[in-house]
Amino acid sequence: MKARSPIKIFLAVQKALFIRELSMRITESKTGLFWTFFEPFMQVMIMVLIKLFLFGSAGDTFDFAAFLALNFIAFNLFRNIVMRSINSFIANKNLFIYKQVKPIDTIIARTFVEIYISGIILIVFVTIGVYFDFDLNVQNLPLVTLGFIILIFFAISFSIALAVGNTFYPSISKTVNILMTFLMFGSAVFYTLDMVPMEIRDYLLLNPLTHIIEYIHGNYFYVLDTKYVNFYYISIWIAVNLYLGLRIYRNFEEKIISL
Amino acid sequence: MISLLNVTKYYITNNGKKYILKNITLTIPEKTNIAILGRNGAGKSTFMRMLGKIEYPNQGIIESNKTFSWPLGLSGGFIPNLSGKANVKFVCRLYGKNDTEIKYIINYVKEFSELGDYFEMPIKTYSSGMRGRLGFGLSLAFDFDYMLIDETLSVGDAKFKEKSKLYLMEKIKKCNILLVSHDMKTVKELCDSGIILNEGEMYYFDNVDEAVKEYVKINNLQKG
Repeated sequence: MKARSPIKIFLAVQKALFIRELSMRITESKTGLFWTFFEPFMQVMIMVLIKLFLFGSAGDTFDFAAFLALNFIAFNLFRNIVMRSINSFIANKNLFIYKQVKPIDTIIARTFVEIYISGIILIVFVTIGVYFDFDLNVQNLPLVTLGFIILIFFAISFSIALAVGNTFYPSISKTVNILMTFLMFGSAVFYTLDMVPMEIRDYLLLNPLTHIIEYIHGNYFYVLDTKYVNFYYISIWIAVNLYLGLRIYRNFEEKIISL
Repeated sequence: MISLLNVTKYYITNNGKKYILKNITLTIPEKTNIAILGRNGAGKSTFMRMLGKIEYPNQGIIESNKTFSWPLGLSGGFIPNLSGKANVKFVCRLYGKNDTEIKYIINYVKEFSELGDYFEMPIKTYSSGMRGRLGFGLSLAFDFDYMLIDETLSVGDAKFKEKSKLYLMEKIKKCNILLVSHDMKTVKELCDSGIILNEGEMYYFDNVDEAVKEYVKINNLQKG
């Protein structure tokens, strides 16, 4: 058999894993698949209804439903990448018998699958939005895209160390799952930082995800801005996470493969 | 050529370290079919896994310029929720095969494994014999310098065993095998040379008959 270059092997592995993950998602459980697509719509509807009941209107200066849809797509993408990655070493340990498949490949493949699914949900939302005449005008599309790319990198950097830990202490994934619920309330998903009192705002800004989501919707809506976003703070978080994650991963890679 | 340089491999158990290989330096020549002999737990499978680069020595290095198949064992390597066909496709993609090659390999494996309708059903519905057939057929479809075969030949009914042996004989004209088996008749038929693993030591024999003789001797010694 001809020797292949590392990059060729990596791409072949990614392609194989991606197709496998996707077909697993489809065959695994039909209810799971249904929820994957239905969950964001339910999240948006519930929050719109709550706002209608509490404040009597669903939007004043910008479209609140579109705002929620954007934020939930972003937050769900983060949550799903993390939750899927955390379990990916255990779920894929069968495959490490093929020496081409390194544990970290499974994280990357699962991330691609999540991006793909989010893309489909985004298209569905946009279609609905156009059909019902929602205001979908984007202030700065390249920067929104950049926001999503930062979000994906943050999710991966956050996942690596957790995935290694969860391989040996499976209770980690349950803890993180609970943490995600708190994170949803504390990440500017159904409000902007301008809406919250100053004292709380300072605490919320400790959360790097708040910065990223604020950056995404700040660049999407004309009336919102990104004045609270600290790029430096986000970069430090990603760099430290990535450094620690890869370091821990490198120490445990052989152990995970021969699990 | 496979060379081991100061290789030590152990597992940590409740009673301290259990050595599989203890500071072994050894060179195994090229172009020979090697039987790996040893009692249960002597480390035959571990040695295979180290050659397949999915297990690593605690110290020392194992070097080779040859390609190895994945260790072909009774378990692992398949995704239980996907069909046999999907699993075959998956492995083909891992090895970077294009669509025509994939189609050819699927047909080959389907024919060889004689799984019929089961080929399109999830692996979790398979018996261990059926899994073994699929795995063996799949590995035959690829070209490696060495095939690592771990007991797979002992699965399946008598007819299938005979068939696998025939196919393997055909295959070893082009490549070499490392075979773990407790069936001395098969070992002598397929292999030219032998390795014995015993209590952290590793011995290489140019002649498989000698290796088998020595192995039987060790076995009797330890029984008595």
